[in-house]
Amino acid sequence: MSAPEPRLFGARVPRVEDDRLLKGQGRFVADLDFAGSLYAKFVRSDESSSDIFDFDVGKALACEKVRAVFTGDDFAGAEIRCVSAYEGFQTSSQPILATDRTRFAGEAVAMVVAEDEYAAEDAAEDVFFSVLPLEPVAGLDDALGDGREPVHAGWTGHAFVRRSMATGGFERVAGSAAHRVTIELRNARHGAIPMEGRACVARYDRGSGLFELWTTTQIPHLIRAGLADALGVAESRIRVISPDVGGGFGVKAQLYPEEVACCLAARELDRPVKWVEDRREHFFASHHSREHRHQVTGYFDDDGVLTALEADIAVDMGAYSVFPWTSTMDCGMAMGILPGPYRVQEYSVTGTAYCTNKAPYGAYRGVARPAACFSIERLIDRIAKHRGIDRAEVRRRNLIGPGDYPWHSPSGLVYDSGSLPESLDKVLEASGYDRLLADQALARAEGRLFGIGLAVFTEQTAHTTREFQQRGVPIVFGYETAKVRLDATGTAVVSASIHDHGQGLETTLAQIAADRLGLRLEDIRVEYGDTDQVAYGAGTFASRSAVLAGGAVVKAADAVGDTLRQVAAHRLEASPADIVIGQNRLSVSGSPGAFIETAELCRLVYQRPESLPRGVEPILEASRTYDADPGTGVYTNAAHLASVEVDPLTGKTIVLSYAIVEDCGPMINPTIVEGQIFGGVAQGIGTALFEEFVYDDEARLLTSTFSDYLIPTMTDIPDFAVDHLETPSPHTIGGLKGMGEGGAIAPGAAIASAIEDALSPVGDAVVAELPLTPERVLALLNRAQQQGDQR
Amino acid sequence: MKPPKFRYHAPSSLDEALDLLATYGDDAVVLSGGQSLIPMLNLRLARPAEVVDIARIDGLGYVEAGECSVSVGALVTHRKMETDPEVARLLPMAREAAGLIGFRAIRNRGTVGGSVAHADPSAEWPAVLLALDGSVEMRSSSGVRQVDASDFFKSVFTTARRPDEIVSSVRFGSRFAGNWGFSEFQRRTGDFAVVVAAVACADSSDRSGETRVALAGVADRPVRCAEAEAALADASDPRAAAEAARDAFDPAGDAHGSTAYRKQLVYAQVLRAATQALTRRAGRRPDG
Repeated sequence: MSAPEPRLFGARVPRVEDDRLLKGQGRFVADLDFAGSLYAKFVRSDESSSDIFDFDVGKALACEKVRAVFTGDDFAGAEIRCVSAYEGFQTSSQPILATDRTRFAGEAVAMVVAEDEYAAEDAAEDVFFSVLPLEPVAGLDDALGDGREPVHAGWTGHAFVRRSMATGGFERVAGSAAHRVTIELRNARHGAIPMEGRACVARYDRGSGLFELWTTTQIPHLIRAGLADALGVAESRIRVISPDVGGGFGVKAQLYPEEVACCLAARELDRPVKWVEDRREHFFASHHSREHRHQVTGYFDDDGVLTALEADIAVDMGAYSVFPWTSTMDCGMAMGILPGPYRVQEYSVTGTAYCTNKAPYGAYRGVARPAACFSIERLIDRIAKHRGIDRAEVRRRNLIGPGDYPWHSPSGLVYDSGSLPESLDKVLEASGYDRLLADQALARAEGRLFGIGLAVFTEQTAHTTREFQQRGVPIVFGYETAKVRLDATGTAVVSASIHDHGQGLETTLAQIAADRLGLRLEDIRVEYGDTDQVAYGAGTFASRSAVLAGGAVVKAADAVGDTLRQVAAHRLEASPADIVIGQNRLSVSGSPGAFIETAELCRLVYQRPESLPRGVEPILEASRTYDADPGTGVYTNAAHLASVEVDPLTGKTIVLSYAIVEDCGPMINPTIVEGQIFGGVAQGIGTALFEEFVYDDEARLLTSTFSDYLIPTMTDIPDFAVDHLETPSPHTIGGLKGMGEGGAIAPGAAIASAIEDALSPVGDAVVAELPLTPERVLALLNRAQQQGDQR
Repeated sequence: MKPPKFRYHAPSSLDEALDLLATYGDDAVVLSGGQSLIPMLNLRLARPAEVVDIARIDGLGYVEAGECSVSVGALVTHRKMETDPEVARLLPMAREAAGLIGFRAIRNRGTVGGSVAHADPSAEWPAVLLALDGSVEMRSSSGVRQVDASDFFKSVFTTARRPDEIVSSVRFGSRFAGNWGFSEFQRRTGDFAVVVAAVACADSSDRSGETRVALAGVADRPVRCAEAEAALADASDPRAAAEAARDAFDPAGDAHGSTAYRKQLVYAQVLRAATQALTRRAGRRPDG
């Protein structure tokens, strides 16, 4: 039995969802308008760590149109807890509304529910309580010292968890290395900042006892699981629906207290309760990411070959462990992936996830890999400098080669396949490297600061059971689910446990289903985001949806296809093995005249059951899961090259050009792959140059509007040059690999490398801190000047 | 981000607007393009009881060239300043500055009068007004008065305007014509300026040697820098002017830069603006 010929796989099909979205016909949570809705406004703490007491909600309750004011005690039975299985993990319990203690600036302490948003916001100003500020653990400096009380009662020290590992030969190889270099690297706390903030509407039906939560989430089934725990309600009594979502990037992949609060308020008040986050709340209380400090030592030989790697990793995880990831994810990922694309075999690492009085820390596109890439790539540039070797050449000497797979990394990861040296060579080509060098020579002759930077990485994607078992998370995100149903008119509905919030999965899954069912793209409708649609699944994160949901769609569509073949074989008096599916018909192999239209066949199945062969049920539906065995992930790789110019008077950096060569295996839709890369690189430029949540010494957030917290805009993004390699994974259906995060991983490293190169005619200044704000670059320029003067 | 309650008034004539201000005084704010006021309302940083929207008033949208000045009606948008041929001819510095304000959508709505009345200490118009020896015309139901730019800006968001007055027009001096320089530092295109330098000087043949260096983003209001002006007037030395300006101010630091960094920005912007002005005075085109 031959598989259907692929027709749409690999095609640059325009995104089917764009017509709806671009015409303003999308449906987002904030668009929902249920009859009788009430509106919530949360009162938030200005202080980070404080005792709060003597609540007075009388004046707020007396306000016009106000229906309720809730404080911590009202919701005291509910909490968000997420406990890691790692030994020594100290856990936290996040209240839905703070009761007697706040632990970060922006934590919700009361909830006003009113007939409209204006009334709710007015009354929120009339909620009074006493505040006694406490000495906070204001950041990593405090957490690394011992002068502050832990954030949570009963803790010893400030670490959620500290873990170490070392390979057997590390001491020996490091001890005998010819050279070593150590750098300390800092990545500022920043976040995903999707265009749409968070929002939810909760409804409760007293008759059935059913909760319905419409929410901006990437992970509907996991939100249902978390809500069931927090509310103490069976999952059969909760339906979570995530409609169109305006960007997620990880920040919408956690359960938040506001979602629980709206459910509780809706039950209490017997009215729908709606909350739409404003941007200020987003800065304060949506989860932050990226704040890493690494100390990295590389041991290498005369040729610049890295033989051993040592790292100490510290991550500021903020005040609470988040559901469903716990507070170990960033640190664990950094420890695992730090050796990156290089053949180093000896490795010693300690990683600590610290608890501080900052906003909780969640997922953001790339999860720790931008910091890990920054560290290893800056280290490789240092080695190049130390040995006087070209930066591309030192990488060639260290990169994992095509013959090295499967590569067992010293941290225990298994890289399945890749094309690292090829991607490096190809990015030099794609970037017009020779021309860039000529431009650089010209610029330098004029005294301008023009730099070129490189970064190479390998990216774990689509990891499932084995990986998440090792990570000690309470729910192992092992698979995704797809359901395929053909109807009586010969078209199909594909339901999936993943969620599409910009990735184009509505299109790519339709491409896959259309090919497998022998239908046209327009014959497929893809739906997702509703826990009632499919049995279970984790959702969209970790660059896994195309691989896992794509694989599940293949399996489910093929199962439906088997039924079609049986019925067609019966009608056409042939063997099912000889039935070919394609072009909206089922035909007998080798007999072009013997066929039946798929629509006709579907009609027979549902409407003329007497025409079915014995033993075939009148249903064309199948649900399947896919887990991308062996569950340790498949590895996408890429090389990025940036060129920049630095203004010597102000330190301002302009990214002049940016080239990417990415290998994510066979591409379902190259246009969508490129869109994902471009969006990721744009966010990475934010990481490199702009984005930073700045807290003061009392852990109060100073950057709470878009005039303080800068994201790159279109004038900060250069034109991209992009090219592809396609090395299939040996493990996955179709050889697919994930690629949603990759674009965001390398820009920090590539742009830092370019800035260091730009400053190099002046002197040597190690670029080791992101973002590279003009002030930081100017300080580096001054350091380069001093170093140059001494030279 | 919903504003507190306020009453909204949309007068159709200037007299009607002035009556409203006379009635409500301190309780009223004037809304024109809304590019500053609306965010402040939504963030609840401004809590006026009465909002007087002057956008429907005719006759405040003119650009009028006089003998040695150009009068600009309060409702002229930044975008008009950026595109108007008369402005380009008579006030090239103003055209340059207009193009650096926000994004085009903001420039399409934001007004010169609104920006001047708002008196953000890092905004472009106040600095340009100071550099071009401008003045501000205000009207109330009891009369009209003209105040020099140097006396108009008092402090952060604070001006000489009385609560019953409306900024009805601003007047830019046009006698410096081509001898100008303007440089501002933005983190990103369209951002609020961190530091602005605006330089205007008299023709070489003019024995007054008049030289004006105005800065925004260095103090609680736009200011001139006498030390820098002297360095330019005496020695035509942009570097000395830049150093003098850097040493003359200690701007407060924030998320976009420390005091030390802002002083360096003052140096950079004055150096660039002064170099442009001298280059133009010499009859050449500045680089870039």
